[in-house]
Amino acid sequence: MISRGKKRSKEFDLELTAEAVNLIEEIGLKVSGADNRNIYDDGRSQKLSASEISDLTYDSTKASDIVETLITNSNTFHNKTEFSQEKYLKKKEKKYFEYIQILRPNLRIITEILYRLDSSKVQGIRIDTLSQIITLSNISNEGNHLLYDSGSNGLLAAALLSAMGSEAKGKLVHMHPGNMSQKQALLAMNFDSEQFNKCLSVNVYSALRQVYQGCDTHTQKETVLESECNLKRKATDEIEHEIKIPKLDDSQIPIKDHDTDESNVAKKKPKWHFDNIAASEVLKNKVDSLVIASKEDPQNIFLELLPFVKPGRQFVIYYTVAEPLQNLYMILKSTSNVAALRLTCNWMRNYQILPERTHPEVMMNGSSGFLLTGYVLK
Amino acid sequence: MSFRNYKEKIDEGDTVILYLCNNFFAIEVKPEIKNKKGELIENVYQTTFGALKVRNLIGSNYGSKVELSKGWGHILQPTPELWSLTLPHRTQIIYTPDISMILLQLDLVPGCVVVEAGTGSGSLTHALIRRVRPHGHVYTFDFHDHRAKVAQEEFQEHGLADFVTARHRDVLAEGFGDDLKEKADAVFLDLPKPWTGVPHAVAAIKNDGGRFCSFSPCIEQVQRTCLTLEQQGFQDISTMEVLQSEIKVSRKTVPVRDLSFLKHKKGTVQLVQVPRPTQSGPPIDLAADTLTQVSYDATVACDEDRSEANKPIIDRIPRANILNVATRISACMAADDVPKRMDLTPIEAPNTLAL
Repeated sequence: MISRGKKRSKEFDLELTAEAVNLIEEIGLKVSGADNRNIYDDGRSQKLSASEISDLTYDSTKASDIVETLITNSNTFHNKTEFSQEKYLKKKEKKYFEYIQILRPNLRIITEILYRLDSSKVQGIRIDTLSQIITLSNISNEGNHLLYDSGSNGLLAAALLSAMGSEAKGKLVHMHPGNMSQKQALLAMNFDSEQFNKCLSVNVYSALRQVYQGCDTHTQKETVLESECNLKRKATDEIEHEIKIPKLDDSQIPIKDHDTDESNVAKKKPKWHFDNIAASEVLKNKVDSLVIASKEDPQNIFLELLPFVKPGRQFVIYYTVAEPLQNLYMILKSTSNVAALRLTCNWMRNYQILPERTHPEVMMNGSSGFLLTGYVLK
Repeated sequence: MSFRNYKEKIDEGDTVILYLCNNFFAIEVKPEIKNKKGELIENVYQTTFGALKVRNLIGSNYGSKVELSKGWGHILQPTPELWSLTLPHRTQIIYTPDISMILLQLDLVPGCVVVEAGTGSGSLTHALIRRVRPHGHVYTFDFHDHRAKVAQEEFQEHGLADFVTARHRDVLAEGFGDDLKEKADAVFLDLPKPWTGVPHAVAAIKNDGGRFCSFSPCIEQVQRTCLTLEQQGFQDISTMEVLQSEIKVSRKTVPVRDLSFLKHKKGTVQLVQVPRPTQSGPPIDLAADTLTQVSYDATVACDEDRSEANKPIIDRIPRANILNVATRISACMAADDVPKRMDLTPIEAPNTLAL
């Protein structure tokens, strides 16, 4: 990255480089101390002032020049231990060596990014838990799969879709309680359109209504309006509540759907209308796995979606805390339609592996969420 | 053949998983097997709940209940996860929590080519196959001649032979071979000296890059591997440890000791308000520890019909919100006699969660 002219400019030009310079090799450590007994943190070890350093950053073309100047003006650098010097240079490398690497998106990277940015936006689904959701639901290239996800920014849909692959025969029914499905992670994966279209994102109310009542046909305009109303329902509403609700605030309804003229409705069917019909077809033929990651209590959602799963298949329910899953566990234990219930949580730790400096990483997130898994019986 | 795709009915030759009382058993569906004398006899699978006639499984649905001579079990279709729990161990195996992480870290999706060494008992291999099929391929190597052969036969029997090649080869000494040069999207090593395999992995990985993963029990192995990886130009090296713990959920009845009556002289206060109502109100779930999580049931939640017989007379005092101290203590004693059962009155969730 090369700064665009102006001082303290945040704009950079990108230039392709064959190799990134390794600062430690470039500078070469000569003298180092044995320990830190003579180093005091009195703020006086660096002789250059902050403004001098920023001028230096602007004037220098090579990052190693900047760092070398910093080192020669530092009183303490040569007293630091070799390890500490290396750590210092690593830090400076991050600051002044402006390289970026462009990678092809994949699930590992997207999960990592979303979790690091704000784990609460992906319901705290950590990479180990996510990996287990994919394996425990036995997702493979074929088969149809059902996902209920209320708030992981599309991470689960991305995960399942990526495990299903691009030339899959099956569909992923991605149910969500809101007006629009969350697609951030799904879009970030750069799936080709063929793979992307395997994901049928449908509103849970509309889809189940379509299954049970089959009302969303191509001619009945009233039902279309009704489904619109359903879309407005909030995530916290319960499924078995009375579904018919009066039409809400007109301003929220997209104008093209608002048109009540019969001929127009027929012409301007939105995509979700067809997705609903397709999803209900998939559900009627039953699915090969069920994954639930809800913010709501999972019990009702699970019990309502269970009949759509083929016998002998897996289900995985994710929740951020254990209690709702404990309750569901006890309820399912007393019924006879599921087997091999397991409630699990995870522990994961990364390690720094360096010669003579191997230790667990200091920052560690303790919350992995909980998984309730089992098999559907006939 | 039951590993290949989702099935609904059991066919002859399938491997099925019998789920019995929290245990899994793998059964090969063959109506007849050979006995010691080499004669064909009826295949009968013995369980703790009696015998299972394997012949009867054919044609029934996966997920259905099967009769045993002294009980019943359920039949499930094998998945790589169930197979990991039931497979015949020829070596130590990798279990699902690690397998899951390996699959994700290797960036595997259907269509990938992945190289594995050693094959071992094939626990990871089954999961790799599921992830990369139908267009991808798994190449798996073991330096043990017999293990490699048995593995290949097993994949054949499981109907997976199209997606996997198991070979006998000492990859640390010989590498992965010329036919795998620049073919692999990912390389996985589970070997005692993985660092010596790193250069071979580099040779096998595609020109536009790929992932490498090594699975080691000891940190010294990891250290040496990391050094070699860095020397060989690998980037983004990370090391991690994953543990999965199961939470046992059960309902326990615990005694409640009331000490508040001690504040008053005997006789001055006849009735003591019980802090937690027994049957009229929702009982309270106490917090439990993380590993063996237990939902405590603060009430004496014994089922009336069952416990009537061995209940002390004093407990027959009609329950109400108000109890005196004596009744409570004896009620607790009664509760000890009641077998701990799972189907007691369900506790209502204390809605302490911010949903």
